[in-house]
Amino acid sequence: MQRRHLSLQRKAAALTMVVAMQAVAALFFILDLAGDLLAEGFGAHLAAESAAVVALLAGVVIGAFQIRALVLSARQDEAAVAMARGVAAELVRLRFGEWKLTPAEADVALFALKGCDVAEIAALRGAASGTVRAQLARVYAKAGVGSQSALLGAFLEDLIDPALHATQCSETEA
Amino acid sequence: MTEIASAPTPAHRPARRWDPVVKLTHWSVVIAVIANALFTEEGSGTHVWIGYALAAILVLRLLWGLIGPAEARFTAFPPSIGRALAHLRDIRSGRHVEHRSHNPLGALMVYAIWSCLGAVIASGIAMAGLPGQARNERSDTAVSASTEIERGEDADEGDEGGEEEGALGEIHEVAVNLLYLLIALHVAGVVFETRRSGREVVLAMLPGQR
Ligand code: HEM
Ligand code: HEM
Repeated sequence: MQRRHLSLQRKAAALTMVVAMQAVAALFFILDLAGDLLAEGFGAHLAAESAAVVALLAGVVIGAFQIRALVLSARQDEAAVAMARGVAAELVRLRFGEWKLTPAEADVALFALKGCDVAEIAALRGAASGTVRAQLARVYAKAGVGSQSALLGAFLEDLIDPALHATQCSETEA
Repeated sequence: MTEIASAPTPAHRPARRWDPVVKLTHWSVVIAVIANALFTEEGSGTHVWIGYALAAILVLRLLWGLIGPAEARFTAFPPSIGRALAHLRDIRSGRHVEHRSHNPLGALMVYAIWSCLGAVIASGIAMAGLPGQARNERSDTAVSASTEIERGEDADEGDEGGEEEGALGEIHEVAVNLLYLLIALHVAGVVFETRRSGREVVLAMLPGQR
């Protein structure tokens, strides 16, 4: 998710270069065609050339619309990620406050939410595994859950739209 | 996720940034202008080729002004003396108003530069002739561009004498000098706005994704 808008932006940039080159080619062919028309008048050869020019121009315009679509979806993606991050951070802050976690417990809980296990958290915090395990146990107790996945579930429940959940359930039933 | 995406709040909107078309056309124009002003021989084949490419890039930017994302469109930065004056008052009173596109003063500059480029291109093409024009005078179509231009000029001088050419050259030169003046003002404006509003002004136009 985080990388998606970057990859969309890269695609848009690459397509922009292609379209710019197409535009240069199109202009050259238009001038060339205009010169030929002035010099020899309209004929079968120039009719074919005109068709090529029209195709090239259409390519430029369609390419431009595609670039716009890529730019807009990259921006939408970025906005969605930023928004989700903001919402998640706010929710974490609220819940941790509600459960009255100490700063050390909040730190451990955040790592647990990100999916780290006890050994990893201990390494990250430079603490003994026993300490971390005890802190996690207090976090679970304060949050009223029994496991790391249940802790994560407590947050996801708030983040997932109940309406969405309901439709998904009915779809699987059907 | 789509529900969230459809209602982004202003607070979460990323910092202003130009899209790849605006960036690429800007820096291509800069390179073309510098190349033709400093490095290519006046009226040479290379000069004219770069000129044609410049024309195409400008046309692409103008097309983008019709169909691009909101901030790249002409409607986002209408040329308006009234707004420019209001912007000057903002500057004088130290007030900062966010503009999603060029600021009103910058907008006037953009249209001035585009018009000037248009005059340079039109007079240049009028002098150089169309690429295919001299073709039927010779059997070999694969002649290099520079010979083509020389042919075109010779033909022009033969037909109408050097007079029209001279007048076009005059227009070309005057328009080019005016362009230099506008570019100096433009860069001065960018420097000023960077001091007033921060590095974002230039960063937004530099290549790369942030
Ligand atoms: C923005 C970029 C350009 C710059 C800075 C530029 C600059 C100049 C300058 C300084 C001269 C000498 C003028 C004189 O002494 O009369 C010149 C001549 C010329 N330019 Fe450009 N030019 C540009 C674009 C173009 C374009 C787009 C074309 C045509 C496609 C063009 C075609 C010519 C020709 C044919 C001459 C020869 C004029 C003569 O022999 O009097 N130039 N250019
Ligand atoms: C040959 C010289 C130059 C020309 C002809 C030129 C022309 C232009 C034009 C036409 C625009 C409007 C862009 C658009 O909407 O498509 C623009 C914007 C801009 N240019 Fe240049 N430019 C030149 C040199 C520079 C240089 C050297 C810089 C870097 C310091 C620069 C920085 C910018 C910036 C930051 C903007 C965006 C302004 C804004 O935020 O409103 N330009 N320029």
